[in-house]
Amino acid sequence: MKLLEKASRIYLLASLLIYAAVGIAFFWIIKFMIYDEVESRLMVEKQDFETYIRSNDTWSNNSYFVENKIEVVPVFGKFDNKVAFTDTLISNRYDETADPFRQLTFYTLIGGSPYRVAIRKSMIESYKLIEAISAAMIAFLGLLLVSTFLFHRVLSGKLWKPFYDSLARIKDFDWTKNKPLETVRSEITEFNELGDVMEKMASKMQHDYRSLREFTENASHEIQTPLALINARVEQFIQSKDLGENHTYWIEEIYHAARRMSRLNQGLLLLAKIENQQFTEQEELDLSELALKKLKDFEDILQHKEISVTVESSGSFRKIMSPALADILLTNLINNAIRHNYNGGELRLQSGTDYVQVSNTGNPLKSEPERLFERFKKESTGAESLGLGLAIVKQICDNCELRISYQYEEPIHSIRITG
Amino acid sequence: MKILVVEDEKGLAESITDYLSREGFICEVANTFWQADEKISLYQYDCTIVDLTLPDGNGFDIIQTLKKIAAATGIIIISARNTLEDKLKGLEIGSDDYMTKPFHLSELNARVKSLIRRRNFGGNNDMTWKDIRVNLPARKVFIKDIEATLSKKEYDLLLYFLSNIDVALTKESIAEHLWGDNMDSADSLDMVYSHIKNLRRKIVEKGGKDYIQSIYGIGYKFTAS
Repeated sequence: MKLLEKASRIYLLASLLIYAAVGIAFFWIIKFMIYDEVESRLMVEKQDFETYIRSNDTWSNNSYFVENKIEVVPVFGKFDNKVAFTDTLISNRYDETADPFRQLTFYTLIGGSPYRVAIRKSMIESYKLIEAISAAMIAFLGLLLVSTFLFHRVLSGKLWKPFYDSLARIKDFDWTKNKPLETVRSEITEFNELGDVMEKMASKMQHDYRSLREFTENASHEIQTPLALINARVEQFIQSKDLGENHTYWIEEIYHAARRMSRLNQGLLLLAKIENQQFTEQEELDLSELALKKLKDFEDILQHKEISVTVESSGSFRKIMSPALADILLTNLINNAIRHNYNGGELRLQSGTDYVQVSNTGNPLKSEPERLFERFKKESTGAESLGLGLAIVKQICDNCELRISYQYEEPIHSIRITG
Repeated sequence: MKILVVEDEKGLAESITDYLSREGFICEVANTFWQADEKISLYQYDCTIVDLTLPDGNGFDIIQTLKKIAAATGIIIISARNTLEDKLKGLEIGSDDYMTKPFHLSELNARVKSLIRRRNFGGNNDMTWKDIRVNLPARKVFIKDIEATLSKKEYDLLLYFLSNIDVALTKESIAEHLWGDNMDSADSLDMVYSHIKNLRRKIVEKGGKDYIQSIYGIGYKFTAS
C-alpha cells in the first residue's frame, strides 16, 4: 500500500471515529438539556397544581391548564409516595398517531383522600429540535471531514513529491554504469538528508563495483599468466626426444593439473562476474532455438557416445537476457546432460513458450538433489569434472530471474528452466 | 617470415619465440609497450602477437598504431581476459585472431601459419608435404594425387598436424583445436583417439605412409621419420 493511501485511510478512520464520538456526545448533551428544561417546567406546574389544590382542595379538569394534560386518579390501598419522571406515548386526540410525552407522577391528598397526579408535557417540538440539530451537525461534520480529507491528500501529495521523484531516480539508478545518482532537492531538510545519504551510498556502490570488477579481471590475469607459462614450458619440454615413460607420466600430471587449475580459475571468475552482474548487455533471445543450435555443436560427442537425441518443441521460449550468459547456460546444461549420460543413452530437449528442459539418462544421484546446484558438488569422482557447471547454471538463473528445477524419474534426469 | 611477440611475461615470451623459431620464423620480443612501439615503427613484421595487458600501456593502442603504419601485418591477440567485449573490440580495431591464456603453443603456431597463408596467398593455394597435398579453398585432400574423402573434423585434424610437423602434440591441444574450449570431458580425448585412427586409416588406404606417431602418455606427432 502506498504511503499516501495508507495515511489517508488512517486519517479517514480516525476522523470518522472522533466525529462519531463528538456527534453522539453532542446529541446526548442536547437531549439532556431539553429534558432538564421540560422537567423544570413540569416541576413548576406541579407547584402551581399543589398551590391550587391547597387553596381550593378540589380538582376539576377546567381550562386552567389548557396546554397540559393533567390526569388525576384516586388511589386505593397502599402506595409509594414518590415523585418520578417517565417517558410515555399518548395517542393523539385527532389522528391515530402516538406522540411522545414527558410525564411527572406524584401523589397528593385532595379532600383528604389520596390521588395520583400525572402532569404531561408534549415532547414533539423538542424532538423535532433534536432532529434538526442532529441533521445539521451531521451535515457540517461530513463536510468538514471531506474537505480536510481532500486538503490533507493534496498537501501530502505536494509535500512528498520530491521524495517520490527521488525514489524514481533511485529505482533507475544502475551501479554498473558510471552515471552518478542525483536525488531531487527540496525545502524539506529530511528529504535532502535522505538524498545526501543515498547519493553517498550510490557512489560507494559504484566505486566498490568498479574495484571488484577490476579485481576479478586482475586476478584472472595474474593467475592465467603463470598457468600459461607452465603450459608453454610443458609443451616445449615434451618436444625433447629422450623422455622416459616415467617422465612423460609426470609431465602429463603437471600438464593436467595446470589445465584443471586454469579451468577452475575461469569457472570461479565467471561465477564472480555473474554475481557482480557484469553481463549487462541485454537482448531478446529465443532460448529454444539457441538450445537447438548449441546441440548441433555437440554433434560429434553425441555420435561418439551413441546418444540418441529427441527434440520436442511446442513454441519458442523468448527471454530478454545477456546473450553471453544464455550461451553459457545452455552449453553447461547440454554438457552436463552428455557428461552424466552413459554410452547408448538418451538426451531429450523439450521446449515451450515458457520453458526449456534438458533430460538425460543416467545413474541415480548419490547425493541429495537439493545439493546438485552447489559449487564443487561432484557426482563422479572423475578428475575431469570441476563441479562448477550446474552452479554456474543456477547462478545465471538466479540473476536472470529464471527458475530452475530438477526431477528424476528412473532413469531420466531432467533439468527444467522456467521463465 | 618475421614475427614480433609483445608480451611482458619474459618466460612466456621466450617459450613462444623458441617454439616459433623451431618452425622457421624469425622472432623478436618486446617486453614493454614502448619497446613494441619503437619496433613497429622501425621494422616490418609479417605477424605480430600482442598481449593486451602490458605494464606501461594497453595492447589495443599498439594494434591501432600498427594498423596505421603497416596494415598488411597479421595480428593475433593473446590475453588472459576472456570477455566478449575485449574479443569484439580486438576484432573491431583490426586484429585477426584472439587467443585466451593459457593457450597451446601448437595452436598458436597453427594460427600464425594459417594467418600468414591467408595474408600471402589470399587462402588460394595448395599446401604440400611429402605425398600429401591439401587444396585449401576447396578443402580437398590428395594422397599421391588420389583424393581422400575426409570428414570435416579429420580435415581440421590433418591441417593441424601439417601446421605442426615433427612436433609432439598433446591430446588436450588436439581436442581443444577440434571442439573448442567448452568440451573438456574425458570423452573428447576418446574422440581424438577415434578420429586419429580414422585419419591414419584413410591416409594409409590411399597409399600414404603412416605419419602419425603415438607418444605414450602425451599425444601424437606427425612425422616422416
